[in-house]
Amino acid sequence: MMRENTTEEASGQTLDRRRLLQALGAGGMIAVAGCTGGGDGSESDSSGEGSGESGDDTQSVQLLTMGVGDNIKQFFEENNAAFESEYDVDVEFTSVTWDNARQTVNNRVDGGQAPDVSRWPARWIPQLVGKDALEPVDDLMDGEFGEKFAEGVANGTMYNGSHYGVPWAASNKCLYYNKDAFEAAGLDPENPALDTWEDMLAAAKALTESDEVSVPALGLAGADAIETGSQYYHYHWSHGADLVDDEGMPVVNSDGAVEALSFYTDLHLEHGVTQSSPLSSTRQDIRQLFENGDLGMVIGHVYTGLNITESQENGEVDFDYGIVQVPKGPAGRYSLFTIDTLGIFSQSEHKDIARDLIRFYFDEERRFQYSKQKGFLPVVEAVGEREYFSESKNWGPFVEAGQYARARPKLSNFSQFNDRMVQAIQEALAGQKSPQKALNDAQSDLEDAMN
Amino acid sequence: MSLAEERTRTGDDSRLAQSAAHIKRNRRAYLLIAPAAVFLVAVVGYPILETFRLSLYRSPADSTIETFVGLQHYVDIFNSDIFYRLLWQTGRWVAVGVAGKTLLGLLIAVHLKGDIRGRKFFRTAFLIPWGIPYAISAVVFRWIEHPQFGYLNAILLKLGVIEQGIGILGSPDIAWLGVVVADIWIGTPFMAIIFLAGLQSIPQDLYEAAAIDGAERWHQFRYITLPQLKSVILMATLLSTIWTFVSFDVIWTMTGGGPISTTATLVIHIYQVGLQNGNLGLGAAYSVIGFLLLLLFAVVYLRVYTRGGEEL
Repeated sequence: MMRENTTEEASGQTLDRRRLLQALGAGGMIAVAGCTGGGDGSESDSSGEGSGESGDDTQSVQLLTMGVGDNIKQFFEENNAAFESEYDVDVEFTSVTWDNARQTVNNRVDGGQAPDVSRWPARWIPQLVGKDALEPVDDLMDGEFGEKFAEGVANGTMYNGSHYGVPWAASNKCLYYNKDAFEAAGLDPENPALDTWEDMLAAAKALTESDEVSVPALGLAGADAIETGSQYYHYHWSHGADLVDDEGMPVVNSDGAVEALSFYTDLHLEHGVTQSSPLSSTRQDIRQLFENGDLGMVIGHVYTGLNITESQENGEVDFDYGIVQVPKGPAGRYSLFTIDTLGIFSQSEHKDIARDLIRFYFDEERRFQYSKQKGFLPVVEAVGEREYFSESKNWGPFVEAGQYARARPKLSNFSQFNDRMVQAIQEALAGQKSPQKALNDAQSDLEDAMN
Repeated sequence: MSLAEERTRTGDDSRLAQSAAHIKRNRRAYLLIAPAAVFLVAVVGYPILETFRLSLYRSPADSTIETFVGLQHYVDIFNSDIFYRLLWQTGRWVAVGVAGKTLLGLLIAVHLKGDIRGRKFFRTAFLIPWGIPYAISAVVFRWIEHPQFGYLNAILLKLGVIEQGIGILGSPDIAWLGVVVADIWIGTPFMAIIFLAGLQSIPQDLYEAAAIDGAERWHQFRYITLPQLKSVILMATLLSTIWTFVSFDVIWTMTGGGPISTTATLVIHIYQVGLQNGNLGLGAAYSVIGFLLLLLFAVVYLRVYTRGGEEL
């Protein structure tokens, strides 16, 4: 077995609590920056209506969340039961897959059956606010409760001057590499030299050409799924390209964007360093390949490392891995930063108990367990200060990545925007269109859709 | 008033009177079916009318405000390339799917009718795919066809037929075939059971007489089985066409309509536009078009079917 990950040593940096908080704060601010278009900074018209609820007849509260897998199911079961016992109410808990999340919430809102409390990506707040579907929670966030969060993180839930949720989870990305495969290909597993995209390509070529390596060098997402965009945007941004301009209009076919998509597609079409058929592969597929030890490199979340560590402890896999920053391009280095919120819906008839549920879940120990088990960056400052994060092999690089954080733009029709971008990526990856043509067509369609 | 007008009025009055008398005579029957009729209007009629209404409005995802745009959505749809591509893809999906299910169903039914060993077992076994929830079958097929984790590629790699996994569902050229195969597997048992029931109703005397006349098995099938099964085949294929046209779960689970929308049908597109992207008005307009297409198909199909004076 190879020596343990030395990413921190390689970078010559150490991690401490302050850096963790700075990283989180920076990420949160960037998330906010993504949503400033359309915001006028005006005072909230919220009157904290929740206090007007009687609360006497609140026998149940509906909690909707997304993507509850085996690693976090027990957390919710235990804590929902504890809340039910402590507050003498029923928690009607539902989890849906991310693919169905947006539609589920929209359907429930449109049908007048919104849950009381729901998790919701911060970038989707504008759409729900436009429908008057979300309850401002300034009463929570402007008070003692709001002091739990780093300022940048807290501001990530703001839109038009009001908080429309409480920061629930944050995530960013790093590049994982298979140390065993690197060593077999004659690369230095402890100093992998993966600073730029060109470095990554050189390593991928070395892995592909090596007779000693039987796994594909690089995981490339290309399936018809929202996450394909999430994986690709690292390349897009680092080549100096944006998705929208300051007015919120699409600018997806700049020279930088064409360079980025050309590089992305060439990884498969010209260099052949990816897994077979990227158009079939979702982000989950390539993550799973890497976690099984069947891939050389992949861009992933913290939980990829946590999953591998658990599998190693269970004797299910036997390979070593390292984590470095997402490679940089001509215009810098970016790590996709996402904040999810926990919000209360305007339709809720149990707003008081909904606030109690939120307060309950933001108990420090619960937040620690959630971040630890789920693999999301802690959003509560006191949790982030724990040594568990700063001293962890898995968490360290992600804390460091906070300085490269960049959020997707907060657009009310981002889903449609992202779908069109994924289509362009697929068209180029399939060789149906040149990257220039694919992006030009996407730009044209997006302009039509957003005018 | 002219004589002709007077005759017309007299005729209308007479028909009205007849209708009134008919209703009066069957008052109790109408009262008995009234609750069911009201229920049907509420759960079928209202959504259809609401969809028509919605298709005349623009209702963006981030607003509760609806703006009347008249027939603009329909104009946009008929002027877009996407619509014609969707028509082709939907037609291809329905034609190949229904043809596959019909031919396989017929083949299975003919064999199950014969005196084969383990007939009861096979009759039950062939029903299994139809009994499994479609989404689960679709997930199974998605994994079978997966380039890295799938059985199909694993077997082909083991046999040395291919050097690396083929991403059937990731190939814009063949992804639709990968999905159609799953749909045929799921839908064939229904066709087989319907055809089997039809086959069992054909008098054995016909086959015996044909055999005495020296007809081969193929000729018996061609000139006895198929004509006798005509009404069953037509009804089963009509139902299968409607179900395949509106089929959503298999495609959505396996490919989500991709890659590059090559497996998207009209129904998948309606979902994406109306529910995923929140453009309810445009989605409703697509729904109305789909509804009218299906209605047109059913009317033409049944007209052709009943042209010879046959009744349903």
